[in-house]
Amino acid sequence: MEAYINGIGIVSPQKTFDTSDFLSEIVEHNSKLLNAIEPSYKEFLDPNLARRMARVIKMSIAASFVCLRDAKIEKPDAIITGTALGCLQDTEKFLLSIIENDEQFLTPTSFIQSTHNTVSAQIALQLKCMNYNFTYVHKGFSFESALLDSMMTLEEGEAKNILVGGHDEMTEKHHRVYNRIGYWKKDSAVDTMQLIHSKTPGSVGGEGAAFFILGNEKTEKSYAKLQGVEMIYKPENTKEVETKIITFLDSKGLQANDIDVVLYGINGDVRFDQLYYEIKNTLFKNSTSGYFKHLCGEYQTSGSFAMWLAAKILQTQTIPNAVLIGENKSKEIKNVLIYNTFIDSDQSVYLLSKC
Amino acid sequence: MDALIEQLKGEIIKQLNLEDLKPADIDSDAALFGGGLGLDSIDALELIVLLEKNYGIKVSNPADGKKIFQSVRTMAEYISANKK
Repeated sequence: MEAYINGIGIVSPQKTFDTSDFLSEIVEHNSKLLNAIEPSYKEFLDPNLARRMARVIKMSIAASFVCLRDAKIEKPDAIITGTALGCLQDTEKFLLSIIENDEQFLTPTSFIQSTHNTVSAQIALQLKCMNYNFTYVHKGFSFESALLDSMMTLEEGEAKNILVGGHDEMTEKHHRVYNRIGYWKKDSAVDTMQLIHSKTPGSVGGEGAAFFILGNEKTEKSYAKLQGVEMIYKPENTKEVETKIITFLDSKGLQANDIDVVLYGINGDVRFDQLYYEIKNTLFKNSTSGYFKHLCGEYQTSGSFAMWLAAKILQTQTIPNAVLIGENKSKEIKNVLIYNTFIDSDQSVYLLSKC
Repeated sequence: MDALIEQLKGEIIKQLNLEDLKPADIDSDAALFGGGLGLDSIDALELIVLLEKNYGIKVSNPADGKKIFQSVRTMAEYISANKK
């Protein structure tokens, strides 16, 4: 089971919207919330439609349209997305309206737009695409589930090109709720470029929308080959994670030493980062190490940002200095592994290879 | 009436998220639907809620809607005549 990444479009807290650029300029955030850098939507959306759309819908439509353009595809055979929070801004808006107006005067727009599948539905509406359309909502496994469905759909021959994406927006209110349960750092501002050196609990929030065209055939545009995704739910200890990664690699005919680059979801939270370092210092001590959450922040579908990063590393055969942990040991990059978790329960591993 | 029309324009912009518009951009007599501002059926629902929430007016007969929401001026006239 494998798929070619034949197109990419991403809106993130970095300048990633231009698909030809690869982190030539790093945006350093000094905050506990890394907001996405939004493009101008006028090129992608009729202003009369855009006025009703929350940020995550606009970000996702822009990212998906860039992705389709990148892959030179007008209408995909399926649209599959993953999101943990859905259209949070609209959900908050109509819930707040219910409270403020004593359950009276409820307006339809924010309610209509608040469902988790609004994004994939709106993309389909814009494209007039009546094909298979599905949204996975599984917290830290949302994007991974979308990837798995895409790969199985491709394998079964039900589609040749699938638009798959991960999207989540972070609102000020939700950021505050997460703050109360200790997800974020206590400091009022955080130098995110120093996140890896943090010795305190908590991380920084993030958001983004990343879309990919997964195809069953290599094209001139192919960035990389997605070999597989593995989800590990609440492992008891690091040994269990190690065993599952080894088994996963073995199923692809690979060993730990075959992995040239590992991208870790290190998020600066002293309570959970130890997991990554244990894997890094045991299984992958010979591989080049990188990380990404100082660039995109912590959110449930941050794996989609990591997949973009891995695909670009394989395509360009370069690793931006801002991503590296330690030295670059790789002369040729053939295999990139992503090891990511949202907080600590939903752990995932992706394997991408050069094509 | 003019003050009410200006107030109404501001409320319509806010309720319908017409972010690129200012009250001065809206012609008081221009059609709200099928041209003019290019509003649609969802906007009609939003305007019905606006009348009820901001002015305590319920549009009970759907057939009246076409006349009431013809333009900002007709909305203002309806509000003046029916405000509680």
